[in-house]
Amino acid sequence: MADTLTGGCQCGAVRFATKLVGRASICHCRMCQKAFGSFFGPLVTTHDGHWTRGEPKWFQSSNSARRAFCGDCGTPLAYETRFGLELAIGAFDHPEAVAPQVQVNPHDKLSFVEHLHELPWRDDGGSDWGDFMAGIHSNQHPDHDTADWPPKEKDEE
Amino acid sequence: MKRIDIEVSGGCQCGAVRYHSAVMLDNAHICHCRMCQKAVGNIFASLVAAPVDALVWTRGTPAIWRSSEHVERGFCAHCGTPLFYNDVNNDRTNLTIGSLDHPEWFPPKGQTGSESRMPWFETLPKIEDNGPTEAGDAGPWAGAIKATNRQHPDHDTAEWHVKD
Repeated sequence: MADTLTGGCQCGAVRFATKLVGRASICHCRMCQKAFGSFFGPLVTTHDGHWTRGEPKWFQSSNSARRAFCGDCGTPLAYETRFGLELAIGAFDHPEAVAPQVQVNPHDKLSFVEHLHELPWRDDGGSDWGDFMAGIHSNQHPDHDTADWPPKEKDEE
Repeated sequence: MKRIDIEVSGGCQCGAVRYHSAVMLDNAHICHCRMCQKAVGNIFASLVAAPVDALVWTRGTPAIWRSSEHVERGFCAHCGTPLFYNDVNNDRTNLTIGSLDHPEWFPPKGQTGSESRMPWFETLPKIEDNGPTEAGDAGPWAGAIKATNRQHPDHDTAEWHVKD
């Protein structure tokens, strides 16, 4: 039996689970670019995906498709058509388990996408970057399901 | 960071939120960190900054979620498009490159967040290419998407009625 894959939005208000996923893809079309604010949409078909906490908001991006996102924090979560529901790969708790196998809509593909993996590493240019990172207290939901939501007040550390 | 005089516009998918800047910074990059991944539901975030003194919200107002003490994430409350990453302690707002009307103007020059880069990231350019959606079994359906696209066009509009 397949393992359950879980995921959700950044703030944790919306969570999902699925066991049956199809082939993962990246879609270069301009509608996916815009919906994700990025170079492509990373999606995987789910046959049994369901919301386990909260409900997403939906935007009908055309007559034939609608897109789900968290109304509280904005994380893009899903794309739905009459062919079924597809979940956003980056929203999974373990996106590394959902490697894209296929890409579609090359007519809108941005030319530099071929070379992203060759880009030099850098630290965002700020000399204070280390201090900045050290000072982060994340409000992000952890990469696993949690019993309580909203989270209970943490003890003062 | 170098300032570049360039007129840019952009916004969310539904067009409820639009922005403009007459200056951009030369920091186009992608970030693989887990917080960026989650914020944009993607494998990485693609970002390029506008100085706050040049960035103008020309239609609507972005919704904001504070992902940590000093970082705001902006998005459209109507359609969900991720719009920006903003460190409140500096004077620039990093816009999502895909939300710009011309993302092709901002090829990333570097990458950050190596600790959570997907192990298969470098395989992406070589994965199977299935061509246009319209060419497959879903051809007529995909054609209907093109015909009924509710997305705001990739340029400013004098008037725009956001579709529900």
